[in-house]
Amino acid sequence: MLGTLYRVAAVALISASAFAACDGGLQPEPICGPTLIGICGTIHFHGTIPDSTDNVFVAAYATFPQTCTDLIANRRPFVPGSVPYTDSVADYSVTLPPAVYAWVLAVWKKTGTLTLTPADTALLRVAGYYRNPADTALPGVVTVPAGGAAANIDFRVAFDSLRPATDFVTCTAR
Amino acid sequence: MLLLAPQQGAAQGVLRGTVRSTQGAPIRGAMVGVAGSTLYAQTDAGGRYRLAPLPSGEVRVRAAAIGYSPAARVVTLAANDSATADFALEPSPLELTPLDVVSTKLPHFGDNPSTSITQVSPEEIDRRAVNTIDEAVDKEPGIQFLNGQINIRGSTGYVQGLNSRVLFLVDGVPMNQGDRGGINWDLVPVDQIERVDILKGAGSSLYGSAALGGVVNVTTRDVPVGIHERIRLTGGMFADPPHSVWNFRDQPGLQGGGDGTFSYGTDIFGASVSGGARHSDGYREQDDQRHWQVAAKSRWQAAPKTRVDVSGAWADDRYDVPLSWCTQGQCVDLGQAYQPFKVDTGGRISWTDSRKGYVAAQARTVVSEHFAWQARGSWSRTDFFDQRRDTSEFGISNRFGAELRLEAHPDSTRTVLVGSEATFSDVTSDVFGNHSQSEFSAYGEVEQPVGHRAGGRDGARLNAGARIDFLAVDGGSLSAVVSPRLGGSFPLGARGAALRASIGRGFRAPSMAERFVNLVASEFGLRVIPNPALLPETAWSFELGGRTAPFLTFLRADGALFWTEAQDLIEPTLIVTTDGPVIQLQNVAKARIAGLDATLLAAPLAGRLTTSLGYTYLYTQRRVPGSPHTPLAYRPGHQVKLSADYSLGSASVGADFRFASRPERIELEGFVDPRRVPMKVLDLRAQWAHGPLALRLLVANILNYVYNLVPQTLAPVRTATLTAVWSH
Repeated sequence: MLGTLYRVAAVALISASAFAACDGGLQPEPICGPTLIGICGTIHFHGTIPDSTDNVFVAAYATFPQTCTDLIANRRPFVPGSVPYTDSVADYSVTLPPAVYAWVLAVWKKTGTLTLTPADTALLRVAGYYRNPADTALPGVVTVPAGGAAANIDFRVAFDSLRPATDFVTCTAR
Repeated sequence: MLLLAPQQGAAQGVLRGTVRSTQGAPIRGAMVGVAGSTLYAQTDAGGRYRLAPLPSGEVRVRAAAIGYSPAARVVTLAANDSATADFALEPSPLELTPLDVVSTKLPHFGDNPSTSITQVSPEEIDRRAVNTIDEAVDKEPGIQFLNGQINIRGSTGYVQGLNSRVLFLVDGVPMNQGDRGGINWDLVPVDQIERVDILKGAGSSLYGSAALGGVVNVTTRDVPVGIHERIRLTGGMFADPPHSVWNFRDQPGLQGGGDGTFSYGTDIFGASVSGGARHSDGYREQDDQRHWQVAAKSRWQAAPKTRVDVSGAWADDRYDVPLSWCTQGQCVDLGQAYQPFKVDTGGRISWTDSRKGYVAAQARTVVSEHFAWQARGSWSRTDFFDQRRDTSEFGISNRFGAELRLEAHPDSTRTVLVGSEATFSDVTSDVFGNHSQSEFSAYGEVEQPVGHRAGGRDGARLNAGARIDFLAVDGGSLSAVVSPRLGGSFPLGARGAALRASIGRGFRAPSMAERFVNLVASEFGLRVIPNPALLPETAWSFELGGRTAPFLTFLRADGALFWTEAQDLIEPTLIVTTDGPVIQLQNVAKARIAGLDATLLAAPLAGRLTTSLGYTYLYTQRRVPGSPHTPLAYRPGHQVKLSADYSLGSASVGADFRFASRPERIELEGFVDPRRVPMKVLDLRAQWAHGPLALRLLVANILNYVYNLVPQTLAPVRTATLTAVWSH
């Protein structure tokens, strides 16, 4: 009797294990997926890609940077990944903590090793930024909600008019 | 009348015999000896043993093996003569830990250990059809492997191979890498492994550095008498990703290999040689692995009282390095936020050459049944070359060790162990520099009964010991670490129920890699700078546990509450220098790891069905001055391990299920892809044996559950493996 009960219990345990394992695990996630906490959208690329291009990444700032030090130290994510820039249009997503971001931009990076210091600005250019829909001359403010993502943060990258950081912030000579 | 100790006699004799199951099958790896003395031996593959020199007269000899009830008999031995004593052991799947060889460095027969010990038996290693020993150890309760790093009750976490808070021994010889302190789990061919003993909790009072969270001792197979050959062939296939958008190749990945062993032995001398190779396409993009190894072992009964063992192994691996999975934009991502089966562009054309080996020699002289000494010397070497997209790294490390140990039994109930150990490690590397580290130590331990024994039963036993280690780096000044330990076991009744308690201090000296690493961590884009001033990590470990007697005729339980208070834990720390942010390993954290480790064994259906259910609860707290307390990284709060095997005649089927909850915290969060899920893995296996041939089928992760245990590193997918073993 006990043996039969035990057999039933063992089969039930293994079945429960199998059932539990069927549920969950890593799942495919579209770039603007439901589990994303951050921003996502589309980047349109224009112009000729410079030969010295290493990558293009998207970064965000909670407050508009005032100095080159701010540009590096306040960047989110601190170590960004690249977006595929060789196509004319690319979807992207960036994981960011929930917050209000004053400046979301695409950064072009030339070949060379980043040191994560203000000196990095020599390798970086502002390639484009998300613009205020009401006044496209101004940066757009983006809100990443708690537990969610801000979608449709689209902008344009112009390889022919990459702009140095000094167009936007003050950098002291190093 | 049964005697508890050999009678002293001037003349001596030899005892030979076999240990078999009551069904007649030879039991390999069984311990045979005289309790409370220096006299013991281990059976070979044929179940044979030779015990010498035994005092003439009546001696009570006991035989014990994992999964069997121990047996004892009184043997009368004439002076200068030999006798035969065969043992037939009753299978007893509920036998939890019949042998305690790790915690005290001494074999005990049926004693209740004072701390938790898990053992992986030869049968478990065989039926699990594993390629490396970590795959078998990973199934034991309270143990979790994180990308090759062992955690015993949450000891180590994940530090990318830069250290281990678990000490790895091969036949009692420390084998952690000389430079990084990590463990090469493929150092010993799995076919050469007799069993694995795992001590949970601090063991530094006997074993020194790295035994902070536990000790894993691999016992290799003894050389049997006669001529023996064994050939093992394996072949297998990896499943495709469960979602087509993750596909990364058109053909299924394959793996396969083979190895063989030849041995010849007499009563006086024996030697074995083995060699083998395997290849795997891997289950991810850029995951090719090639491995070959050779190993040899010899034993020599140099004198009636002296046995010499020499062993060695060399393994050579080349494996591609899928540094991290691809996140959006780092590969052809097909519109996905991440591609766990693909390597990112930065990790392409990355591979590692890894070579490691050791030679060890041990001599043991049994001066009398009361006194024995043992000496050993060892040399281990690791050599790696990492090729990355833009750079390369290399490191060559040697570790020399020597130990002298004296074992005394003033009477049949008391044991005294003292010893001294010395280790010298050096490293030559472009990322760790050229450095050396020396360790000198002395240790002692005493075990004895407390109070009176009633009815011939074992009574309570206490053991106490301490070890002092002196450490020096690059020939500099010595620093000392003292590691005391106190433990006791208290039998409850005659049916094996017992309580145990222990408290001990463990430590881990920083590895030379941690002190001197100087490189750019490509996954973070940050430089890691040296910190020669690192201090040893230390921890106090406390355990209160017990096991029940069998109940409901087929159940038995074992459980332990554990508590560890650690200081000066070494962690990677982001600091800002005048040159910008860098990572440095620092003694930053105090930590608390507490929890429950429980196992329920059941063997209904007349022992044909054996099952175990293990549950481990971990509560961890990381305490850094000025920061809020957080859980320790990479420690799942709940782990469940369920194992079942059903045997009928020469065939058996079995299953393992492992669950670990999602770790609440990982290190360097914000710098790595934070995706992580619980682990839920079901393995199925089947075995058929007939005469010298055994066939084993293993389907690991049969549900093809896709998960990761460390950031951006995919754990193995469903893998089917067929193994054929021919033994003669």
